[in-house]
Amino acid sequence: MADSLTNRAALKNWVQSGLVCVYPGYRQSVQWETKLTASIPALQAEFVAVPINMVQLVGSLRKELADSLSTSKVLVVGAGGIGCELLKNLVLTGFKNIEVIDLDTIDVSNLNRQFLFQKKHVGKSKAQVAKESALQFSPSANITAYHDSIMNPDYNVEFFKSFILVMNALDNRAARNHVNRMCLAADIPLIESGTAGYLGQVTVIKKGMTECYECQPKPAQKTFPGCTIRNTPSEPIHCIVWAKYLFNQLFGEEDADQDVSPDTADPEASWNPEETAARATAAEMDGDVKRVSTKQWARSNKYDAIKLFNKLFKDDIMYLLTMDKLWKKRKAPTPLDWQQLENTGCFPEESSGSGLKDQQVLGVWGYCKLFQESVETLHSLLDEKGDGAELVWDKDDPPSMDFVTAAANLRMYIFSMNMKSRFDVKSMAGNIIPAIATTNAVIAGLIVLEGLKILAGELESCRTIFLNKCPNLRKKLLVPCILDPPVANCYVCASKPEVSVKVNVHKTTVLSLQDKILKERFGMVAPDVQIEDGKGTILISSEEGETEANNNKFLSDFGIRNGSRLQADDFLQDYTLLINVLHTEELERDVEFEVVGEAPDKAPPPQNNQGEGYGITNGNKDSAQPSTSSKVPADDDDVMVVDSDDADAEASSSSAAVTSTTKRKHSDAETGESSTKRPRTDQSSAEATPDDSDDDIIALD
Amino acid sequence: MIDMIEKEDPVITEEEAAQYDRQIRLWGLDAQKRLRGSRVLLAGLGGLGAEVAKNLILAGVKGLTLLDHEKVTEESCRAQFLVPVTEHGRNRARASLERAQNLNPMVEVLADTDRIEDKPDTFFLQFNAVCLTGCSKDVMVRIDQLCSQHNILVFCGDVHGYYGYMFCNLGPEHNYVEEKPKVVKKSSGDSNDGPDAKKVKVDLNETTMVKKTSKFCRLKEALEVDWTSDKAKAALKRTPVDYFLLHVLLKFRTDKGRDPDPQCFAEDSQLLSQIRQDVLDTLGVASEVLNDDFISFCFSEMSPVCAVVGGVLGQEIVKALSQRDAPHRNFFFFDGRKGNGMVDYFGPN
Repeated sequence: MADSLTNRAALKNWVQSGLVCVYPGYRQSVQWETKLTASIPALQAEFVAVPINMVQLVGSLRKELADSLSTSKVLVVGAGGIGCELLKNLVLTGFKNIEVIDLDTIDVSNLNRQFLFQKKHVGKSKAQVAKESALQFSPSANITAYHDSIMNPDYNVEFFKSFILVMNALDNRAARNHVNRMCLAADIPLIESGTAGYLGQVTVIKKGMTECYECQPKPAQKTFPGCTIRNTPSEPIHCIVWAKYLFNQLFGEEDADQDVSPDTADPEASWNPEETAARATAAEMDGDVKRVSTKQWARSNKYDAIKLFNKLFKDDIMYLLTMDKLWKKRKAPTPLDWQQLENTGCFPEESSGSGLKDQQVLGVWGYCKLFQESVETLHSLLDEKGDGAELVWDKDDPPSMDFVTAAANLRMYIFSMNMKSRFDVKSMAGNIIPAIATTNAVIAGLIVLEGLKILAGELESCRTIFLNKCPNLRKKLLVPCILDPPVANCYVCASKPEVSVKVNVHKTTVLSLQDKILKERFGMVAPDVQIEDGKGTILISSEEGETEANNNKFLSDFGIRNGSRLQADDFLQDYTLLINVLHTEELERDVEFEVVGEAPDKAPPPQNNQGEGYGITNGNKDSAQPSTSSKVPADDDDVMVVDSDDADAEASSSSAAVTSTTKRKHSDAETGESSTKRPRTDQSSAEATPDDSDDDIIALD
Repeated sequence: MIDMIEKEDPVITEEEAAQYDRQIRLWGLDAQKRLRGSRVLLAGLGGLGAEVAKNLILAGVKGLTLLDHEKVTEESCRAQFLVPVTEHGRNRARASLERAQNLNPMVEVLADTDRIEDKPDTFFLQFNAVCLTGCSKDVMVRIDQLCSQHNILVFCGDVHGYYGYMFCNLGPEHNYVEEKPKVVKKSSGDSNDGPDAKKVKVDLNETTMVKKTSKFCRLKEALEVDWTSDKAKAALKRTPVDYFLLHVLLKFRTDKGRDPDPQCFAEDSQLLSQIRQDVLDTLGVASEVLNDDFISFCFSEMSPVCAVVGGVLGQEIVKALSQRDAPHRNFFFFDGRKGNGMVDYFGPN
């Protein structure tokens, strides 16, 4: 209650201070106004009391609005679960000029909801097939399909300006961030949406009038400390992450951050700090050599599955046991020995779980055999590809999935956890967000209804709408809430975006700054960075090859120190970010930088998956830091391609991201009340006591 | 122990598992099996009917019968994506069949061109659930009565312009399961850990299934709520006005034998205004409860509204058939101008 009052007061202050143009400030945009001329009659007619005898309808719509639809050009970003439903609704409502973009191809697991696709289309371009199917509903419509990433520089600000409205039907945060910036730069209204299971959300973003997609901090990316993965796993997910790392170490692209061997520098393992320091130094010294040797070792042993097994599940575990302090307070792991298991006799395959093969949990020996088979298959696949080839982990590739299932389960067994079926491991390893047709249909319907308000010039009546699993205490299943004004110091939509970042300038390389801070954290696609040192030193250039020599140098090598200011530009996004560098030597282990005001634990906790019990990695695909997919490749053209890993989630980040942020603070449209909400941390409880917006907070008080 | 409706135990093939993967991950294999054993009748192949058909066929019921005697016209098929544009004049169910079937070859989809009024009682008994769209109040009340005597799940729904609703009657005792987080007993004592020692955490994602029961009334009872009692009057403030709008639109359908038509906008608007007054008078509800504001927004079926109502309705049918999760009791109303979706119970307590 107190929160709600504070917020209402804050909102009022906003308005009074004149810092934000509350309605109808959007009309101040000249360019936008020009576009609206087409719908100005509608602007006067729609939703406004007009004498009945003046009204003329085309279907359900006022004729003025129907006419403006047929001349307006709109962009649909994504032709997946929401996108398919959206295209159908748009053509049936009377939109005639539609462009749709999606870089993905059709998979069999899409067919339970992406109804514009059939089995015969598997493997084809989603955008192209969606266009063809939607055209059958309205052959006179003019639909353009792009089988491409929206982050491709071809889709520049001019491209975005050619639309009257952009609708996102995306499944990952990187693309959402990017489209958000493009729409801000082009000053075109954006309808953002997302679904996860039974839940969904639609919201409207308009520059200067509403929050942008990035105004609220998103849930922190879920990462696990290296020592938890390497030494002391306590949950199945730790073993699954370890198994995916192992896949890359053996068959894929080796990554220094994905070591799977015992971590001797674990601060928890030593009895005194000096020893830790000594071990840390030692580990850093031999680090690289050892990492290379995992693959080398496997190669020199011709990927002999049994030798590999004994190294990973016996020798390494025995080494861990020597780090005795780790096991004072927890159950020590039990090493497995191939020969011994084999001799004990291929004990009867105890298996539990009914029906589908994938849902059965095998016995230990079952996973030993699965490990052996999958290692052999993957080894021969690697051989076929020739020297220096690498495999890319994919949850839909059976041997890759078998390998991770086997390795993760063996490790779970060693660490006394209940083993998981291949079905469950796939959910977690692939960050699969369950998805159904009906939720997408509801959300896509709401998108078009918001779109109609925008075209009718009624932006002020737009809402952010939540779809709940159960009605809230106010009996609402669909909860419309007033849109919040922009956050003043948003690092994206503020007039002069600025952030402060804590780093160790002696340890952070220019490449880290580019990849981990600017691209991954701040969502830039092709940053140019200049040091504000009076000389305008160029640190990073987006032109290929220009500043590559700087990549492995440390920030301090360029005179960057505490208090230095960097200007980062993304030309494509028409976005400039001023970064205040704060030097620190006190970042936690495994933490490379920290954004001030956004300490990792301050971000809202990632939401659970509505009682489906998949755990945190499912909350959104982007949060799955340990997943190979979440790494943004340097080659920005195809940033989304790597997402094939999780491309089935409709909105993944979406709901986790969209929901958990906006959810925290919004106003009920009917009461006009605004209140701070508890983040949706536990959706499973939402079933009985409806997870509720402001309503129940008020009711409880 | 609650008895679950006994159905043949259909085996989910690996092919089905691949296609239904993302929903099995949501509602589980048991629910999918129940769905796979269910036959549904869908009456009315307008925009809402098409949405419901799509959602049920994609979800993977055993069989869906499309029942509609009407012909395809421009107005009746504005939001109907199953009917090809070249099919004007053909029967709506038959014209919808091919596209409906293409959505999922694993479902038996049939078209029936008879009038629902002419169907004998025995016809309805072959289904596990019946969904009525575009039907008159009399037909809905009759079939609801019949089906609830035979443990057949009943759903009704319609879309009028920006407005839509659904009703369900799952019988006097509907059993279902819900997934709940497992209650975890906190381990006692060991607060005196080493510096950073982490306890082995209990898997927070463990869940358990809880059996529950829900009670429903007949449509007739739900539509005959007495608004003259003091208690009812007091509850009026919190009652979605959409309930009264539904009465008005059902009355229009009864009186005119059709829904409000954009071609007859002036005439139908006047009639709607008149019916509004009559209905509120008859129910004994003050006339300011529902003003004339809705009139110009309740014509034709609007595609995005069909998508929203058809999504909720489709999911309710899936939930009820699979006996998984709490059903919405017993009305859902959607107002597309406000983006507001309400669930409320009408009927005897």
